[in-house]
Amino acid sequence: MDLIKNIHKETPFQTAGPFLHIGCLPNFIGIPGIYKNDIGVDPFPEKKNKDFIKISGSIFDGNEEAVDDVLLETWQCDEDGNYFGLNGFARFVPDKVTKKFSLSTIKPGSVKSFDGKLYSPHISLLISSRGLNMSLNTRIYFDDDDLTNDPLISFIINNNNNDISSLVAKKIDKNDYLFNVFLQGDKETIFFDL
Amino acid sequence: MKNKSLLKRDFNYQPHIYYPNYKSSILRAPHKDKITFPSTISEVSGPVFSKDIIGQNDNNLILNFSKNNKSPIGHKILVYGTVKDQFLKPVKGALIEIWQANASGKYMHPNDKTPTAIDPNFAGCGRYITETNGSYEFFTIQPGPYPYPNRGIEWRPMHIHFSIFGESFGQRLITQMYFEGDPLIKLCPMVNSIPDDKIRKSLISKLDVSRAVSHNILAYKFDIILRGINQTYFENRKEGL
Repeated sequence: MDLIKNIHKETPFQTAGPFLHIGCLPNFIGIPGIYKNDIGVDPFPEKKNKDFIKISGSIFDGNEEAVDDVLLETWQCDEDGNYFGLNGFARFVPDKVTKKFSLSTIKPGSVKSFDGKLYSPHISLLISSRGLNMSLNTRIYFDDDDLTNDPLISFIINNNNNDISSLVAKKIDKNDYLFNVFLQGDKETIFFDL
Repeated sequence: MKNKSLLKRDFNYQPHIYYPNYKSSILRAPHKDKITFPSTISEVSGPVFSKDIIGQNDNNLILNFSKNNKSPIGHKILVYGTVKDQFLKPVKGALIEIWQANASGKYMHPNDKTPTAIDPNFAGCGRYITETNGSYEFFTIQPGPYPYPNRGIEWRPMHIHFSIFGESFGQRLITQMYFEGDPLIKLCPMVNSIPDDKIRKSLISKLDVSRAVSHNILAYKFDIILRGINQTYFENRKEGL
């Protein structure tokens, strides 16, 4: 039996365009009253702010200019390594003036995957914008964690011999991390075909 | 325990990410190959959206921004279809968010400089969570085509933007739906960034006269296919074995 014949083709991507905020963050863009709340405003509404870390940074284009018309979405587990419900989903955009995004969330725990392997704490990041015919997937790891045994980091180093530093947020203060994304150029971030 | 993995994505049926005919891609498209790795729980899991978030008119763009019961300008349409995966299994509970221009081709967005009019009764924003059989429907206004700067001024075909969350973060899809018979489709570099003609056409909704809800509304059918998820069952192994 040819199983492949029973697999249909995925609907292709198209760019999210410059006006994606209308559909994804209407209250934020000044279209009030349709949805009570934009989704993804707070990834862990039941947790206290004092437990949060802050991840900030910019998304740079090929001219190394920070862009502000991108939509960022993150998905992560809680501090115990559990994915559940809507917890751990966030949606945000860079600031119009500073061109910096800022995500306040809890530091994820290590997470055990189906194969029983333990992955170092990380946050999945999806970037959508005008000029991107497909949204881009990457991961945010943390430089104060031990990454040597992380199966994905090891996989990249063993198979592609890449510099993995673009996947790692730098600790710049007690609970503050810096994570910049480079869409192109010498510093181009590692993106994934999930 | 279930071991789940996403079907490998076939990039022959996806747009070129770097496509100079679409000028904005020149400075934004990455150049290096993407790294493929076996699915982990981080990609197979995904946010679960509850129908509690959905308001009564969230899928009715004709009503959800109208003031004093005034109708938006333009002709009313029904856009409907199903969300299934690559095995044609219906995806229930999928969050679909849409956004679009109004009848004159203008978005309600501060960055839209198109010299046409905002419609005070139309915001162009809607959402729906799919039913058990994967179905969805939106009542809206036919969006207009509009000029935009690309290689000089070009025209976008009439379209509606779709953002979809399936059950996995790795199934996430953002795309655009076009309308059967629009002569601008074949001229559009964003459409043409998809190399395969048949798969390009899968983004064109079909006019469905039989589904017209009443005499003042046209219907268009647009079915969506998200990535498939393979599932196998295995027994939990004990630590260290």
